[in-house]
Amino acid sequence: MTTAQGGVRGWSATRTKVQSRIRFTSLRLRLVVVFGLVALTAAVSASGIAYWLNREAVQSRAQDAALNDFERELQSHVSTLHPNPSQDQLRITARKMADGGDRFGVLLIDEDADGRTVSGSSTDNALNGFSLKDVPASLRKAVNKRQKITSGNQHPYHVYWQRVIDGDTPYLVGGAKMIGGGPTAYMRKSMEKEAEDLNSLAWSLGIATGLSLIGSALLAQAAATTVLKPVQRLGVAARRLGEGKLDTRLRVSGTDELADLSRTFNLAAESLEKKVDDMSAREEASRRFVADMSHELRTPLTAITAVTEVLEEELDAETGSVDPMIEPAVRLVVSETRRLNDLVENLMEVTRFDAGTARLVLDDVDIADQITACIDARAWLDAVELDAERGIMANLDPRRLDVILANLIGNALKHGGSPVRVSVREGDKNDADLLIEVRDHGPGIPEDVLPHVFDRFYKASASRPRSEGSGLGLSIALENAHIHGGAITAANSPEGGAVFTLRLPRDAAPLIAREGDGEQGEGGTEDTEGDGQ
Amino acid sequence: MGQNEPVPSLLLIEDDDAIRTALELSLTRQGHRVATAATGEDGLKLLREQRPDLIVLDVMLPGIDGFEVCRRIRRTDQLPIILLTARSDDIDVVVGLESGADDYVVKPVQGRVLDARIRAVLRRGEREANDAATFGNLVIDRAAMTVTKNGEDLQLTPTELRLLLELSRRPGQALSRQQLLRLVWEHDYLGDSRLVDACVQRLRAKVEDVPSSPTLIRTVRGVGYRLDVPQ
Repeated sequence: MTTAQGGVRGWSATRTKVQSRIRFTSLRLRLVVVFGLVALTAAVSASGIAYWLNREAVQSRAQDAALNDFERELQSHVSTLHPNPSQDQLRITARKMADGGDRFGVLLIDEDADGRTVSGSSTDNALNGFSLKDVPASLRKAVNKRQKITSGNQHPYHVYWQRVIDGDTPYLVGGAKMIGGGPTAYMRKSMEKEAEDLNSLAWSLGIATGLSLIGSALLAQAAATTVLKPVQRLGVAARRLGEGKLDTRLRVSGTDELADLSRTFNLAAESLEKKVDDMSAREEASRRFVADMSHELRTPLTAITAVTEVLEEELDAETGSVDPMIEPAVRLVVSETRRLNDLVENLMEVTRFDAGTARLVLDDVDIADQITACIDARAWLDAVELDAERGIMANLDPRRLDVILANLIGNALKHGGSPVRVSVREGDKNDADLLIEVRDHGPGIPEDVLPHVFDRFYKASASRPRSEGSGLGLSIALENAHIHGGAITAANSPEGGAVFTLRLPRDAAPLIAREGDGEQGEGGTEDTEGDGQ
Repeated sequence: MGQNEPVPSLLLIEDDDAIRTALELSLTRQGHRVATAATGEDGLKLLREQRPDLIVLDVMLPGIDGFEVCRRIRRTDQLPIILLTARSDDIDVVVGLESGADDYVVKPVQGRVLDARIRAVLRRGEREANDAATFGNLVIDRAAMTVTKNGEDLQLTPTELRLLLELSRRPGQALSRQQLLRLVWEHDYLGDSRLVDACVQRLRAKVEDVPSSPTLIRTVRGVGYRLDVPQ
């Protein structure tokens, strides 16, 4: 059962494959079939009508001529015949009649003086002689039947005819009885010649039909090609457009529907390109604006920062030179300036990532040392447990690693509370990667917030106080991981608390090499030296 | 720095009035003597007149820019230069370091950071143990703080000299960039390795016979640099 099902499935699979392969040609196929059907119908009906009309015309003309002849001969010869003629006389008369007109056989039947039925035929030989048995009984009956004389019918006897086929040869057999006594005469004319003519006509019509079928098939092919080629081009162009090549355009030729379609496509592509250009220009403009703005903010900020430090020192010196009433104001200015500094710094960082101008400055560093230094520099040593062995080296941008770590650990301390546990592991694949896990012991991250933790300026709740950072920290951390070819994932630990896992390649140098970045000092140095020791 | 030592004199070249005033205020409070100039041309003039111990130079200057000022100073002078730059990771830093700057500080500048950098750079010129070392045709005189190559005095900036001294103190031993940043620049753990690379380049240009194929200061791939004793 299962094998049978498998077989069926396999068969349907191959069928769909075949269908998909011939699907493109199906339009062509359909066109050919339709063209063929149209041509066939037209040719068959035309030649059929022509054949039947011809046949009727040819046959009735030949038949009329033969019957007229027969009638004329009958009248001119039979009138000279004696009543009750002998067989010889009949035969002679029949021959005369047959000789006179068109070639047809004549059979005369009469009663002789003794009352016997005698017959005389123009052709006597036994093979194709014309005798009474060649005349159909129905015709004989009709000929010998005496008609009533009415106003519409002035003669008791008429000329009757019938078409018979003897062997393969069609014959016209006619007969008449002389009015007022006399022989009954029959004629038989071979219609072979006409039949042959009609046959050859049928043949030629058949051949013509065949030719028209072939011609229509060729025409259908040509039509299909002219229709399908633009369609195919359109398909290719649409695919290119879908791949993002927005400058894709079709060459428009002609004024038909396909040209219309191509024109529509071009218009659509053009407006799409324009829209995308507009959008990217607008995006570029806003990005530039943010970049310029943060840049411009920095100049006054530099001055303010330098001065606020002076103010701060003045406060710390406790020389009493600062009015105690003013002191909170000064402290506020100092702390807010620092925050503004961080914010502008983060904004600049973000714009650098957005503009794609962020660069890696690589160095070989000991990860454990780097983490320790990061924690130490921010006085977090008491709140952070580090689980890392020294000696795990990586080639990365130490400043960016520091930014990532500071943001992840800072975030964990802020939201999760201490102790924060940082562990370093080597990645699964050939230790080409290393994993740094930052785990806090807080309540974890709500499920609905989890997808947004790396969003810029995303605040988990509107009620959260504003002073919890720039709102860019995790986003910048993620970007910094990305530029290394790494990633950060956020999750909740089953044992409680949030877990941020940073994955970084141990060597980010290939990434830079791929970018073709000439700025990188180290690689350049080593290349020009060429001292492979 | 001891209290009885002469107050170091600085030249601050910065075009923005507010920053110039604020930094002058901050640096003066840190105990420096500060002369200021608003353009590169003025700065070069003041440099000739006042002979400061160190220059703090803004990169974005009207007229001749900071890089050009740096290059012109380096033609004749080996005094330390600290750049004020807009961004830490763009081409500015690299160009600045290549044009001969000893260190850089990213805006917005924190006065304390700048002060620490200034003091670290100035310390590089301080003398130390009285001995000399010879590496091939290179003689490093630690007492006189001079380096001679084939008997000729080499003009090294304090940073270049300090780098050479640190390397020569551990001949044949590779020092990582981060180690060198701590030893020479006194940077914290986040020192910019490009400082080391740029300084090594400049040092090679002066001490090596063929700077493009160095025999003294060798690169140790994946680690850092090492001073080799020629056979």
